[in-house]
Amino acid sequence: MNKLIQNEMMKLIAKKRLVVIALIIGVLVILFTYAQYKEIQTQRERLGTDDWRTAVQQNIVDITNRLSSSRISEEWKKQLKISLQQQQYYLDHDINPAEPGASTFMRIFLENAIDMLIPLMVMVIASDLVSSEYSQGTVKLLLTRPVKRWKVLLSKYITLCFAVSLIVAIAGFLSYILSGVVFGYKGFGTPILTGFNISDEALNTANVKLLSLWKFLLMDFGLVWFVAIVVGTLSFMLSVLIRSTAAGMGVMLAALISGAILSNMVSSWESAKYLFMVNLRLTDYMKGTAPPIEGMNLSFSMSVLLVWWAAALLVSFIVFTKRDVY
Amino acid sequence: MNRNMVRMVTAIAVFFCLLWIFGLGWAVKNYYAGKPDQVPQKTNVTSKIDNKKGLNVVALGDSLTRGTGDETGKGYVGDLVDEIKEKTKKPVQLTNLGIIGQRSDQLKKQIQQKEVGRQLEKADVILVTIGGNDLFRGGQGLMDFQSKNIAVIEKKYLSNLKFIFEQIRRNNHKANVFFVGLYNPFIELDHGKEMSKVVRRWNYDSAEVSAAFPKIIFVPTFDLFELKVNDYLYSDKFHPNTKGYKLIAERVASLLTW
Amino acid sequence: MEKKITLSVKDLRKVIGRREIIKGLTFDLREGEVFGFLGPNGAGKTTTIRMLVGLIKPTSGSIHICGYNIAEDFQKALRNLGCIVENPELYPYLSGYNNLLHFSRMINGVGEERIKEVTKLVGLADRIDDKVKTYSLGMRQRLGIAQALLGNPKVLILDEPTNGLDPAGIREMRNFIRFLAEKEGLSVLVSSHLLSEIQLLCDRVAIITKGTIIRTDSVEKLLSNRERMEWRLEPYLKGKEVLSSLTKIEEKEDGMIWTEFNEEKIPHWNKQLVEAGISVMEMNRKMPVLEDLFLELTGGETIE
Repeated sequence: MNKLIQNEMMKLIAKKRLVVIALIIGVLVILFTYAQYKEIQTQRERLGTDDWRTAVQQNIVDITNRLSSSRISEEWKKQLKISLQQQQYYLDHDINPAEPGASTFMRIFLENAIDMLIPLMVMVIASDLVSSEYSQGTVKLLLTRPVKRWKVLLSKYITLCFAVSLIVAIAGFLSYILSGVVFGYKGFGTPILTGFNISDEALNTANVKLLSLWKFLLMDFGLVWFVAIVVGTLSFMLSVLIRSTAAGMGVMLAALISGAILSNMVSSWESAKYLFMVNLRLTDYMKGTAPPIEGMNLSFSMSVLLVWWAAALLVSFIVFTKRDVY
Repeated sequence: MNRNMVRMVTAIAVFFCLLWIFGLGWAVKNYYAGKPDQVPQKTNVTSKIDNKKGLNVVALGDSLTRGTGDETGKGYVGDLVDEIKEKTKKPVQLTNLGIIGQRSDQLKKQIQQKEVGRQLEKADVILVTIGGNDLFRGGQGLMDFQSKNIAVIEKKYLSNLKFIFEQIRRNNHKANVFFVGLYNPFIELDHGKEMSKVVRRWNYDSAEVSAAFPKIIFVPTFDLFELKVNDYLYSDKFHPNTKGYKLIAERVASLLTW
Repeated sequence: MEKKITLSVKDLRKVIGRREIIKGLTFDLREGEVFGFLGPNGAGKTTTIRMLVGLIKPTSGSIHICGYNIAEDFQKALRNLGCIVENPELYPYLSGYNNLLHFSRMINGVGEERIKEVTKLVGLADRIDDKVKTYSLGMRQRLGIAQALLGNPKVLILDEPTNGLDPAGIREMRNFIRFLAEKEGLSVLVSSHLLSEIQLLCDRVAIITKGTIIRTDSVEKLLSNRERMEWRLEPYLKGKEVLSSLTKIEEKEDGMIWTEFNEEKIPHWNKQLVEAGISVMEMNRKMPVLEDLFLELTGGETIE
């Protein structure tokens, strides 16, 4: 097994996909850093101060005003209300919800990358892990060795898990190192709040906990990793089922994009919560924003994702070991 | 390609894989941990005001403070700030805490917030518009302007107003406070005359409350909108339009002293 | 002494959907022999080979490699097998050496010593560290053979080994396969749709069409009694007349006359011709071509 994993890692590195992914993430991080920097600047100009309390207060007033508008949907109103209460809570407890610094940038980057960017990057690797062997024809060599097929596939899957771990790590490192140039390398010790519960329209703050940002980040990373593994496993399955890398990627891409769109409009279609793609924003539960569909919480989303994960893995192994190779 | 590199990358990957699994476990555990180990405390210590540069303007109140109806989005507050900037050549920091539809009881609540207090503390000029929603209640005031109701509402309003002014003065005893009075948007409608009477009375009482506090100046606007009111109203026939806001801003500006 | 059987196939069948693609193949391979698998495209050669190497599961029938049933003892059976199915598709982004390393890791007990050995054996030693994408087709073919030989297999299965090679490459490959069979004692199964290739390369041949073997025999036996004698006579017309009075003749476009090859009668015919004053300019013994044989066996089904 060890040797098989070595083989897969060798191929993974030789393909230089990870380098490409690192480059993509790097460029995006630079873009986001610049955008964030600009945003801070305009905010400073608008408010005439760097004082975060003023900014939060202003934000609260802005949200309150938006709430009074009759043009916004009920759903959006609910989200705003929760966000409002949360901001107020931060302000009342004198905690900056977005302490400037590379570590906060990293947190925001992770929270926004969890349902699109990271899954996309994982897909780049996962979707051709198996199908490339088919399209290159090397599968014929791979499967005519005295090694059981499930072992071959397992070595590929373990390699995928490694690659996912690396991608998440790369995203973390790059977002910290590159944004730190602008925002400064600090802020791991700053406090952050977690444990907000959303019940109906109100924010339940009974279980709110104070955490150091580094602890919060580690948890965020864990959740991002979990999501990446599930998405990776699904595109891994497609890679086994569909022998064309492009087709597999297309299907997965469509699923991810539809997830992003659906999250904004499925509030009335309740059974949509069993789709994997609306359950990807796990970090939101940590932060305490309203879920897209009533009744979703961390354990629900994780169970849904786990079921999808297990099914995908099962299908991959059954199909791969049973299928004739032409 | 170097075989050591493969080993190294694999080792790093294994390390991160374990680290992330740990993070995941921790996240789940933390999310479901019953008792928070470290409960955040409300702080009552007001943090120090950062070094002031230029003038601080704090605007409190309702949609008039927000500037509803002004196509430029500035409202009288924005216009006024522009004017101050031009006159003093100093940077002006504006904190607009106006909330659309706010009534005096809501402002009373808002003003007790710690952060709002802190904002008031550092203010050089404080602008207030309130009462319009108490009186007109989104047009409902039109129907029952004669009823006894008004008296009850006004009484409550005046006590709120008093509280608000006390609160402002408690936080800041130096700044000039400009309290912008009401105009009658319904002056040209049926019963406009009767309504005007109510508004005038309302303004008079408000001015009385203001007068009880030092440096709280009541700024009348009733006369501004008395003639040709529709030229100065937004299409909702309630809020001022750009021109209307200009008028209010000019009036307040004329009262500013340095 | 009968040589040991290394690959044994019994009543192999494959049904896809409702169509029976392979309809019961039975054959054996012996140590040190090159076995040809001949048939037109679409006859079922590739499907059969893929079943032999474990890529496709047979619907019924058994395959034994060195005594191990491929369905039950997959690992032990495959341990004794080396193969190239169709083109040797290797990882283009890895060096030749890393490709071999990759496959050696999948076979127990194959170390770097063996990699060096097979590299030398196929003559790739000086290019082994270059990426495979820089290799020519011939070099890829040799690298393919090298990977097939890594595990010291008893049975080597080559699907169309000379496909896409130039004439020099074909000759080289042919010599190499003969060397492996004769000197190393391997059983080699070669599939081809080219008759000439099988004829020159194989000891025995199975002719397959539409999923069935219509004949399995040694090449010599298949070809005996089908040899021809080619004559060039001067003057042509008179020579033809004399010869046709002696036996059945065939006229060829290039001015040659063909008769049957009959060792006892040929001196007599020759003598008759000479006596009739005809100069025999050339006499050639013509080996038959499998084309004819194939036509004969399949009753007119053409092959490429």
